[in-house]
Parts: sequence; structure tokens; C-alpha cells
Amino acid sequence: MDSMGGNFQFKYSVMWESIPVLMTGVKLTILITFFGLIFGFLLGSAAGLGKTSRNIFINKLSGIYVESVRGTPLMVQVMFLYFGLPLALGMRVPPLAAGVTAIAVNAGAYIAEIVRGAIQSIDKGQVEAGRSIGLTHFQALVYIIWPQAFKRMIPPLGNQFIISLKDTSLLVVIGVGELTRQGQEIIAVNFRAFEVWLTVAIIYLAMTMFISKMLNVVEKKLEIAS
Amino acid sequence: MIRIEDLHKNFGPLEVLKGIDLHIRPGEVVVIIGPSGSGKSTLLRCINLLEDISSGTVIVDGLDLKDKDTDINFIRTEVGMVFQQFNLFPHMTAMKNVTLGPIKVRKMSKKKAQNLGLELLRKVGLEDKAHVYPDQLSGGQKQRVAIARSLALTPKAMLFDEPTSALDPELVGEVLEVMKALVVDGMTMVVVSHEMGFAREVAQRVIFMDEGLIVEENTPENIFLNPQNERTKNFLGKVL
Repeated sequence: MDSMGGNFQFKYSVMWESIPVLMTGVKLTILITFFGLIFGFLLGSAAGLGKTSRNIFINKLSGIYVESVRGTPLMVQVMFLYFGLPLALGMRVPPLAAGVTAIAVNAGAYIAEIVRGAIQSIDKGQVEAGRSIGLTHFQALVYIIWPQAFKRMIPPLGNQFIISLKDTSLLVVIGVGELTRQGQEIIAVNFRAFEVWLTVAIIYLAMTMFISKMLNVVEKKLEIAS
Repeated sequence: MIRIEDLHKNFGPLEVLKGIDLHIRPGEVVVIIGPSGSGKSTLLRCINLLEDISSGTVIVDGLDLKDKDTDINFIRTEVGMVFQQFNLFPHMTAMKNVTLGPIKVRKMSKKKAQNLGLELLRKVGLEDKAHVYPDQLSGGQKQRVAIARSLALTPKAMLFDEPTSALDPELVGEVLEVMKALVVDGMTMVVVSHEMGFAREVAQRVIFMDEGLIVEENTPENIFLNPQNERTKNFLGKVL
């Protein structure tokens, strides 16, 4: 009981001292989030468009992808990608690659729903007007639907970016040295859980606030541009 | 110019067009009137293949719309369409709305397209609005830009689907003026409209549709002053 904080003393210096090591984790967290979201956005856009497709095969395939990812925990997906899949493929997957893939696949499914919703929210008359001036279906999508839909995607996409950034902390289970992992390792040495987890939390908060701000700026810019 | 024979259109079990025969000559102005739900708009949309045809024939400028070899995108550039809700592209300026078709479909150079765009915006009286986005335009101005957008592909015929129905009354006139100028230019036009004054003034033929069929067609004088069919009389009695 004594050691559980009966005479707990907050040590401010621990926070400062842990920062250099935590920053190496931050780099990895940003890297995984960045590439995970780029691939996730591509995957999500494809699946989102797929869900609006009249081609039954593409439509169903996209639906199955979205449902299976949304219906299973991220933790299980990560474990499956890192421990399960390599057995079936007969090759080792580096933790970082598995981590980026997990974030991409997971974010992609949620982004797909965002893309689908935004595209379906655009008035049908827009496509008709595009087709009536002779645009092909693809041209109407590229020049008319996507630019309008993209603007509507920004707020929910921002939300998903923040979620995905936080989700990278789950990669601790496959030994990726991201921010959470670095925090754990520092605590394993100095036992200062309070200060270190507080620092870790503040760093996550700073990153997610940065994303929020960035998206506000982008949103404002797009508003001015029309 | 446009020849329609025994055109049927079903939406599921609902038969909206029940065998339409209509022949529109080059340069002719035809106004279609009739109660809502009579199939007027659907007929127009079939000519532009915004609705596919259930059965029958639609021939536009010698090309059969049901023929697999017919290039639908080409037909659509030959026949302009103006919508009740304008359907301007809100993320593009008036100029870009007008030049998108020439640039992407006709592969015109940007500079040439802009000259054309300016000329067309002048024609509809909106050259000073070239760089304005649709949400800063009034309804009447929007519809005039939409007309310019269609004209940019130099269509051989224009279809107007209730072009003034979504406008405030005081804005109807400016759109009708632009349409009258097209009539003077000799444009082939099919207009679904409730503007009886416009029909009287410029139509060579007025068609009354009800329940998916052409009930009566005649010159404006004859149809307005001396309608033959009971349903036509009834409808005109309500709207005139």
C-alpha cells in the first residue's frame, strides 16, 4: 500500500527527462499515422466509390471489406496481420510494415463510409447536368462529384485522422517502438508511471490538436475558394 | 430532327409513358403542357437518355438512341438540356460552368473556350458575372448561365424542363427573353412549361399531355382558344 502512493511525490523533472526518448516514439507514431492514412485514404476512396458502383461484384467486395473491418476489433486485426498472416504466407512481416498496414486497412474501412456518404449526398442533378453536356460517367465523377464531395468529407475525415493517430498506440502489442511503447519502456526502468503516462498523454493531445487545427485551416481555405 | 415512335417508359410497375409519337422538325419550337405526373419531363429526359427507354424508338438527328453503336455522349452534346433546378456546378464560376463542356468534351483549347464562354455569357446578358460563383447569382441569372452552358456545345436542339418553375415571378421574364432570342436564332426547342404566354408567343405547336399520352396537339391559337378534348379544356380552364 505504501508504495502505491501513500507518500507519492510528483517529480516534474521525470517528465522533462523522458521527453528525448518519447520523441523517438513520436517520430514513429507520426510516420505510421502518415503512411497509414495515405494508404487508408486510397483504400477508403476505392472502397467508398466501390460501394456506390452499379457493378455488383465491386459493390459486394467493397461491402465485405468495410463490414469485416468495422465488425472486428483493431487489436485482433493487428494480431492477425502480424502473427497470423505470416504463418499462412510463410514469411515474416516486419512490425512496422504490419503496423502501417493495420492502420491503413482499418482507417480505409471507415474512410470508405465517409466517401460513400459524401458522394451520395451530392444532388443527382449534378451528374445529370454533367452527362447532359456530354461528360462521360468518369469525367462527371472527377470534375463534378468528387470536388464537391471532398469538401463534405473533410470534417469526418479529420475525425478519422485523429482516431487513427490514437489507434497507433495499439501497435504496442507487436513491439513497434511508437510513443506508447517508449513510455512503457521508460516506466519499466524508473517506475514513474504517473509522470510518464501524463507526458505521453500530453504529447498525444498536442498531436491531435495539431490535426484539428490543420483541418480547420484547410476547411477555411476551401470555403474561400468557392 | 427528333422522331419518337411508340415510346413507352416504365418505372417498375408504373407506366409513365404509354406510347408517345412525336416528330419535331428542325427549327421548330414545341411547348409541352399538361398536369404534373403526365409524363412531360420523362418524355424530355428520354430524348436526352437521362432515362433509358423501355420500348419504342427515339431518333435524334438520324441516330437511333437504342442502337448499340450510337454514342450517347455525342447525342447529349447535340441536344442541350436545361433543368428546372438549374443544376449549375456550385464549385465552379459561371465561366467554368460554361467552358467545362467545350474543354473536356470538345477538347477545345482553354483560350478558345473562354472566348466562346464570354460570348455566350454576353448573349445571356451576364458577361459581368463570368467570375462569380453560382451561389452569388439570382435564380434567373443561374438559369441563364445554365442555358449558356448548354449552348457552349453548339447543340442542334435544346430541351427545357420547366425552366422557369423554380424562379421567383419577377425573374421569369429575363429567362424567357433569352429563350425567345434562341427562337429568333432558329434553334429547335422542346419546352416543358407552364408559361402559357410564352407558348402563345413563340411555339409553333403546343402539345397537351395527360397520363402518359399526347392527348391533343395544335397551334397555340387553336389549342388555347378552341381545345377539342375534354381533358385539355379542363386543364386549360384551371391554369388560364
